[in-house]
Amino acid sequence: MDSLVSEGLNLMVYGMGFVFVFLTLLVFVTTMMSKLVNKFFPEPIVEQKAKASAPQAAANNDELLAVMTAAVHKYRK
Amino acid sequence: MEKILQLWEASGIYNISAGQVTMIAVGLFLLFLAIRKNFEPLLLVPIGFGGIMANIPEAGLAFSAVENAVHFAKPEVLQALAASLNITSVDPNEILHAYHGSNPSTHHAATMVAADSGYSNGMLYNFYSVAIASGVAPLLIFMGVGAMTDFGPLLANPKTLFLGAAAQFGIFATVLGAVGLSAMGIMDFTVQDAAAIGIIGGADGPTAIYVASMLAPQLLGAIAVAAYSYMALVPMIQPPIMRALTSESERKIAMHQLRHVSKTEKIMFPIALLILVALLLPDAAPLLGMFCFGNLMRECGVVDRLSDTAQNALINIVTIFLGLSVGSKLSADKFLDLNTLGILLLGIVAFGIGTAAGVLMAKLMNKLEGGNAINPLIGSAGVSAVPMAARVSNKIGLEANPQNFLLMHAMGPNVAGVIGSAVAAGVMIKFVG
Repeated sequence: MDSLVSEGLNLMVYGMGFVFVFLTLLVFVTTMMSKLVNKFFPEPIVEQKAKASAPQAAANNDELLAVMTAAVHKYRK
Repeated sequence: MEKILQLWEASGIYNISAGQVTMIAVGLFLLFLAIRKNFEPLLLVPIGFGGIMANIPEAGLAFSAVENAVHFAKPEVLQALAASLNITSVDPNEILHAYHGSNPSTHHAATMVAADSGYSNGMLYNFYSVAIASGVAPLLIFMGVGAMTDFGPLLANPKTLFLGAAAQFGIFATVLGAVGLSAMGIMDFTVQDAAAIGIIGGADGPTAIYVASMLAPQLLGAIAVAAYSYMALVPMIQPPIMRALTSESERKIAMHQLRHVSKTEKIMFPIALLILVALLLPDAAPLLGMFCFGNLMRECGVVDRLSDTAQNALINIVTIFLGLSVGSKLSADKFLDLNTLGILLLGIVAFGIGTAAGVLMAKLMNKLEGGNAINPLIGSAGVSAVPMAARVSNKIGLEANPQNFLLMHAMGPNVAGVIGSAVAAGVMIKFVG
């Protein structure tokens, strides 16, 4: 019976350890990937957004509000 | 008169056993939960109905051809079956025992004998073989979930992956709890059973079914029912734990807006994840492979038709068969024992520990980042259960600070939890499978 518990303990230590190692690596890989992508393939839209004037931003907000309202409405159904 | 007696002896009322009556009642209760209480109705309606159908006496919907043949126990058929299994006894129980323990060739021979005598596999048995025993249905559902998942919030803040990792502690703590109960002689679980039960804590239905079908098929019915019922109970199980572990001021922490994530990043992410899986944990490849594939179809933008099918029509079709197949495992001899009670109990503990671990990890990360960057409430979303757990985080956050919308921030740990539980499933299958 003790072997069963020690098997469970092993599974917990290695399992949890592996999950953390894997997701830590994934954090690094994802961060690197994002940096590389943003460096070499920057999105043209981002520049346009930076130039956008204040009224346009407000319009965007309205649009966003409309989309969100619609989404919430759909979900509530 | 003889004919009337024959009819009576073939009727359900004459043949029904107490176990079947109880299981039909369990099926009706699941239907009640689904229809009246709105508990994961998409799954509990097919599961409950499948459970009722599986327990119809004499119909044998959930049994294989040989099991049906043995049930009707015609002497000449029993004789032929015993001969094919190389045993001399024609006692039905001994034939079944020999059948379940037989090697592939005698197994096949017995099946052919039963087929020749006019018996066939029950409908639900066939559904189960095709949908779950082969592993197809949970994987297709995972593909659909991938096609529905937006990794934007996760990519904007990759550190939330740690929260998804921490919440998997519930899985492994429960494994320990299950083997502990067995060691004390209260329950009777092998380490495989324990691993399959622990996965309930991943709060991810398809993952739980996939792991259970590989490690502990005899517990699949109870595990699936526990997993889906508790997913429906997330809004009740999580808030007390979240409130107990956080202070009012922590719950008020407002998180700053997430950065914009480019389309290229979103396309690259499933590919990067798949490569990492391929390099480190091939055992998680079926689950995460299908998940990444579904997500790539969504994000690449050139196969909208496929993505649409994966997240709507296909996932609905698969859900019907998955639910009925799980229902076929709700037979009295497997469901009505102490172990099921243990599974239900351990499942809820797994959920609780996972939630607590996620919140504590978020608190730790918040401390490391200066105490005002991460609202610990998003940690609880690390136990997958997309998107319910994220909505719970949002709701509790709004209670503390009506201006604070945590939903998008909680979606990061939420989808990280899906990846985390799939990785945990891969580790389990690797170690004890």
